[in-house]
Formats: sequence, structure tokens, C-alpha cells
Amino acid sequence: MRIQFTAQIILLISFVCSSAFAYSDKEMQELLDSYDDVTKYHNTAIVEDVFTKNFLNENGGKEKFIEKVKSAPKQKKKKGLGLLLKKWKKSKMSKFFSAKGVDDDAKEPSPEFIIKDEDGRLKIDGTISDG
Amino acid sequence: MKRLILLLIVFQTSAFADNSGLITVPDISRVMDYPYENEEQIEPESGDLISIESVAYPRNKKAKFCIRPAEMVDTIVIHHSETSSSSTALEINDFHLNRGTASDPWYMIAYSFVINSPYEGSTIPLPKVSEGRPFDIVGGHAGSNIFVPMDDVQARLWSQKKILCGKENQKPKYDSTLVKNKKIKANVTTIGVVVNGNYSPYVLESGAINPGGYMQGEPRGPSDSTLDMIARLSCQLQKKYPRINRLAYHNQYHPTSCPGDFAANMEKIKIKAKEYGCEFNLLLKSYY
Repeated sequence: MRIQFTAQIILLISFVCSSAFAYSDKEMQELLDSYDDVTKYHNTAIVEDVFTKNFLNENGGKEKFIEKVKSAPKQKKKKGLGLLLKKWKKSKMSKFFSAKGVDDDAKEPSPEFIIKDEDGRLKIDGTISDG
Repeated sequence: MKRLILLLIVFQTSAFADNSGLITVPDISRVMDYPYENEEQIEPESGDLISIESVAYPRNKKAKFCIRPAEMVDTIVIHHSETSSSSTALEINDFHLNRGTASDPWYMIAYSFVINSPYEGSTIPLPKVSEGRPFDIVGGHAGSNIFVPMDDVQARLWSQKKILCGKENQKPKYDSTLVKNKKIKANVTTIGVVVNGNYSPYVLESGAINPGGYMQGEPRGPSDSTLDMIARLSCQLQKKYPRINRLAYHNQYHPTSCPGDFAANMEKIKIKAKEYGCEFNLLLKSYY
């Protein structure tokens, strides 16, 4: 009985530990899709869902960032084109994730994203455009 | 006869048979000297132009790195991080550890110095210079396959096999791939100084590029105090390592938007450094 109880506790702890940062490819891809929605198609209503508070503050606040987004030409959605998740991984120190996207629609190098967990949600904290 | 006995004693002390009957030889090779594990905070010395914070960085001990004599370095290369201006040196280190792959892991932060300084008109972050990768460890910032000419001193040090590569606790080895056609990898003769922040424009042409950059028509030029910090650091390094005599920026080694508007401010840095008693040349060409 005691052995069974101990085993259950170990299983429970393992589950909690492994699920603490258990983000999936799907969630990462959804974040990149949302990034495209904001930057290419000017869906600025979701800005705070996509970018961290730190990122927005760094760019003069939410309103200023929206102004910046809208300063660039709005694009028309093209089916099958956009950022595709190439690979992602959790940092060694568990502070952030990095993800590389591939943009079939762009001639520029693929961006690399710095992604953080903010209030239990994945959000973009920065990008590295071309190393 | 005495020599034979001495040889037997030496052999007996350095080799022995274990329980499996196999002969094992204790590793008597020189291990890579790595004195930074418990480095203490560097106290500013009198006469220093700028204080440099020492940081205890986690490193990937499975990664290879190269050590070099300080005389190999003649150029300071300026970068911007393209991350938040309030990024910490530890975050950059974590980011760089994460950029490596299983087959090509990165050892630690690739820059030798990290500068935090606010954008023009801002008060955060507090100005600070942090030490990155130790000076005598070759960095990873100028493009891994960019080769530059060597001067006589650098060529002599290379021919004397003074640049050695390996992993921690391994015997360092000569790595012939660092030189090609009598040119040496740019990372060996340079150090990278990064300013945290994003000094390039936000661009949206066919894809969204650099959303953390500045709006078109509103350049985010480096503030005078940021340029002054670079000048002080550069001058302080030149005073310590007199062979450092050139200032350059990332885009001269590798096609990149880095370091943004710092590229147009190199002359200002040179002039400010002269005010502190240092003479620098500016690199006037690109290596690609």
C-alpha cells in the first residue's frame, strides 16, 4: 500500500515537473501566426497577446507600437504563405524559448524569436532578424 | 644503469594494471587552463576610464573554444544586440547557449563586453559595462567563416602555435582550420563589444522584419553618453592591450543590419577616444 502511494506521488511530481514548460509545436506556431496577424495584416487588437509587456515598453508603449505597425504597408493575406515554425527550444536556464521561423513570402533572412512565458502565456519578447 | 632504474620507477608511477588486467595510464597531458570559474569582482583600478562588472556565466562545457595571446587582438567590433536595451549580460549568455546545436554547441556569450545604456531621451536601463567572454578566449561575433589578413605579429604567433583549441579539462590542440590562404578567422583577431538595444529600422517589405526597430523616419541614433561609453571602454582596452588600434562594426564582416545606426557614428567614437588619449583607425572596408 505504502509502495503504491509513493509511486503515485512520484508519478504526480514527474507530471507536474514535465508539464511546467510543456509547450507544443502547435502553440509556438499559433504564436508565429499571431505575429504575422499583427505585423503583416495589422490586427493590432491582439498586440498584448503577442508581445510581452517588456517588448511593448521598450517600443514606447502599446499605442506607439501600434502606430509603428500601422506605419508599414498592410498586406493582403495569401493562403499557405507566412511564418512557419522551423525549430524551437527552451533555454538552458529556463528563462525563455527561442524559435526560428521560415517566411516563404519574404526575401529577407528568417527571423529568430525570443519568446517568454508571461502570465502563463507564450509571448514574443524580441526578434533577431539576421544575426 | 641508473637511467634504466629511473625509467622503471617513472613507468611504475605512471602506469599500473587495474583489476581487469588492462594497463591504464594516468592522464598527464596539460589540461586547458581555465581560471575563470570562481572569478572575483573586478575592482576599478585608479585611472580606469570605466568600471567593468564581472559576471559569473554558466558555460557549456561540452563546447569547444580557442585561447589566444592578447597580442593577437587588434580590432574592436561594435554590435547591437537587437534585443531590449535592458537585456542583461546573463540573458545574452543564455540566448547564445541556446543558439548552439548539439553538433555545434556554443561555449558561452560570444561577445567580450556588454554595454547597457539608455536610448536617447530614456532613463532606463542604468548605464553599465559587463565583461562577457574572457579576453583571451576567441569570441564568436564577426562571422564564423570570415578570414582577414594577419600582420607580422599575428603571423608569428600563429606560426608558433599560440592559438589552441579544445574543451575544458582537455589538452588544447592546434587547429589548422583557423587559417586559410594565410588569412585568419576574424574572430581570432577581434573582440566583440555589444550595446544592448535595437538601433536598426523596422522594415515591412515582403515580410515583417525587426519589429523592435525604430519607425521609418524616426532614427534611433545612439546617445552621446552611449558613444562615450564605447569610447571609454575602447580606450581603456587600448591602454591595457596597446596592439588594439582599430574600430570596426559587425556589418563590415558579415552582411547584417547590425549594429544599426552605430555604423554612422564610428567617427564620433574615434574622436571621443582621442579625448581620452587613444588613437584608433577606422576599418574602411568590408570583408565580404
